[in-house]
Amino acid sequence: MHNAISIFKKYLPFLMTLFLWRLSVYFWNPAGILALIPIFYYTFVRPISGFAIFGLIFCFLIDYRCNLPLFWTCIYCLFYAIIGFQNYVDMQHTNNNASHVFMLFVGSGILLLIFSGLTWANLINNIWLFVWLNVLYTPITALDNWIKP
Amino acid sequence: MTKDKLSYKLTRIIKSALAAAALPVFIIYIMVAKPDYTIMNALAHVILPVAHGVGDVITWPVRAIGDGAHWVKEMSVLRKENKVLRAKLDDALANKYKCDVAIEENKKLENELDIKQASPYKTIIADIQFDDSVFHHNTFLINRGKKAGVNKGMVVVSFENRLVGVVLDCGSQFCRVRALTDADMKIAVRITGSDISGFLQGNGKSGASIGFFNDTQFVGRKGLKVITSNISGVLPSGIYVGEMKDEKRVDVIKPNNISRVMVLQFDDQGSYK
Repeated sequence: MHNAISIFKKYLPFLMTLFLWRLSVYFWNPAGILALIPIFYYTFVRPISGFAIFGLIFCFLIDYRCNLPLFWTCIYCLFYAIIGFQNYVDMQHTNNNASHVFMLFVGSGILLLIFSGLTWANLINNIWLFVWLNVLYTPITALDNWIKP
Repeated sequence: MTKDKLSYKLTRIIKSALAAAALPVFIIYIMVAKPDYTIMNALAHVILPVAHGVGDVITWPVRAIGDGAHWVKEMSVLRKENKVLRAKLDDALANKYKCDVAIEENKKLENELDIKQASPYKTIIADIQFDDSVFHHNTFLINRGKKAGVNKGMVVVSFENRLVGVVLDCGSQFCRVRALTDADMKIAVRITGSDISGFLQGNGKSGASIGFFNDTQFVGRKGLKVITSNISGVLPSGIYVGEMKDEKRVDVIKPNNISRVMVLQFDDQGSYK
């Protein structure tokens, strides 16, 4: 039993990403976009070895289902490069699990998408998605702290 | 590995450099491979089923609860739905004879005018697996692929014979369909009962709109019916698209309102170009 729990804890980031991506539903989690939360968190805030490739694959899958060729994949790579090269912000010791950087990560992508298809309905929908992703960022990342004290 | 170690810093810089190097590769690929994205789609055809399979295993309890709740909800509205359907059936039967006569008259006129309508020789029934309507892109996955005879470019219609979308990309067991509301969707259409043609374009969440009419004096109005016109040779003509809501907007079917579709296979192995 102890072994099972430790294995679960070890693979939690991968399972969480897969779980959120697979449980895609219209409006609440379209194309499994909520998987961006664990992808960001376990790549930049609580980095896990081997997760970057996994995150890249799931960004690619989100893009495929959104019909946005390599869009989030490019943004992920861009942030990976920027965060890796800089030493101004220590992502692992930032308040609120670096939620402000996550806002920037998601916000920059959504802002580009707003301008590429500008209508009132899309604008409202994109704002909703931005708010929803950021609202869920705190409880989903808190779940990690709760399971892995 | 502590953060102060040189090897840690070096590894981090190398990884970041690799990510930075991947960026121009991806951007060049997007520009070069447009619009087919052959490598990207081929990769997705392998990764997507694997991720789905593993995802199915780990999410089954949640999906089972969701399916159960959905089943209970459906059962609760069954009686009400039955009443509505009976009323609709009565209406449909009342119009049936008129429609039969109109169809026969239409056939006669088509023969006289020598109009050849494309008609499907095979239909493939598929379930909508995921509605991926997000941002201004509206695509969805169906559970039939190349193995069932579905190919890229085929027409997807609802069970009411309304155009739903066009197959965008096809794996062996699944297909990605571009809905009419997708911002990249542009099809040639015609107003029924007239020679006025135009182009229908998806607007994302807000539906679809019609424009670029061949008659510049024409002003659309509510209630006009729109069908495909085959001007660009992409879609066969005569498939019902929707009804106009005002001067520009067209009431098209959205994938989140249906759960099952038909893929139409026309002559020339579904290729219209």
